[in-house]
Amino acid sequence: MAYQLYRNTTLGNSLQESLDELIQITPQLALQVLLQFDKAINTALANRVRNRVNFKGSLNTYRFCDNVWTFVLNDVEFREVTDLVKVDKVKIVACDGKNTGNTAE
Amino acid sequence: MEQNNSLPPFQGLASPQGALTPVMPMFSPMMPYGSGLTPQPVTNTNSLSLLEEQQRQQQQQQQQQASAQQSGMPGGSGQTPQLYHSQTVTTTTLPGNTPLYNTTPLTPMTPITPATPASESSGIVPQLQNIVSTVNLGCKLDLKTIALRARNAEYNPKRFAAVIMRIREPRTTALIFSSGKMVCTGAKSEEQSRLAARKYARVVQKLGFPAKFLDFKIQNMVGSCDVKFPIRLEGLVLTHQQFSSYEPELFPGLIYRMIKPRIVLLIFVSGKVVLTGAKVRGEIYEAFENIYPILKGFRKTT
Repeated sequence: MAYQLYRNTTLGNSLQESLDELIQITPQLALQVLLQFDKAINTALANRVRNRVNFKGSLNTYRFCDNVWTFVLNDVEFREVTDLVKVDKVKIVACDGKNTGNTAE
Repeated sequence: MEQNNSLPPFQGLASPQGALTPVMPMFSPMMPYGSGLTPQPVTNTNSLSLLEEQQRQQQQQQQQQASAQQSGMPGGSGQTPQLYHSQTVTTTTLPGNTPLYNTTPLTPMTPITPATPASESSGIVPQLQNIVSTVNLGCKLDLKTIALRARNAEYNPKRFAAVIMRIREPRTTALIFSSGKMVCTGAKSEEQSRLAARKYARVVQKLGFPAKFLDFKIQNMVGSCDVKFPIRLEGLVLTHQQFSSYEPELFPGLIYRMIKPRIVLLIFVSGKVVLTGAKVRGEIYEAFENIYPILKGFRKTT
């Protein structure tokens, strides 16, 4: 079972909203769509993404519970070879990368 | 100050060259530093430090006679007892930050040797580096709730059955257990440790648990200092083998287990000394004052 981590992303939220608008599909079908989305996004990010981004900032808070890390950083610079993005606050939710993870929201 | 009389093992210790057997399961209960007994490690190769030790022993004997404690010690002549620095302090752990323990140098009034002062204080004060304390919050805790709602918390029950929480001021780490007991580490003074523990208790309380602050106790204090000269560890382990263990292939420092006060010192060739195992600040200071003349005797001259 893949992480349901990516449902609260721009892509995942758009999908969920669209599914809510489609009144004619059953809730069970909507759930299956979301599960398929989870699998697809996990494999896509694992296999089809190659670029690397560095980021540096100061740590405001951290949490580790249920094998999920949650960080809040301040004044972060996201650096890719091409460009630089600065943000005041970023929340990072991270799950274990090895294939031992079970579904975690 | 009368505690010595009630503790037979300590009376055995009191005689300077006497009962310092190699295997001493010394379990010193909390002796206030005002007991006035310094451990006199058995022999010294350096005659000067031996002389200083004899002078110090004589002064202790005078103080003990003055306070009518010990028996059977060959008394010195009726000289005015020197106020040993450890006896000037009357309070115990709490006002940790105040320099109450600055060693007052012993005034050289004994006519034993005209040349050297009886024993000078080292003038070096060990700095506290770490304090470990425990407190009981007095109620069962749901660690998962705490880990999910509190900031700066880690909880991995598969690895360790406690929440590890940190605060920035005082910079400390706490281990919070489901029984309600908590360990607070990393503070640099007794008052900071207590304050930090209270802050953690307040965090837990704000999460909805009926937290109290029971039995706060400092369990360990670590201090360090620098004698500013290199030390011959080999010589030290030869003469003080009852107390020392030195395995340079295992660890570069000499581990000196002082009996009274019961403190473990890590002594390094560079002259840096780490003292640990204290329950009160005075034990660290007392242990360092005890070891300093011994270390001076093993100063490297090259």
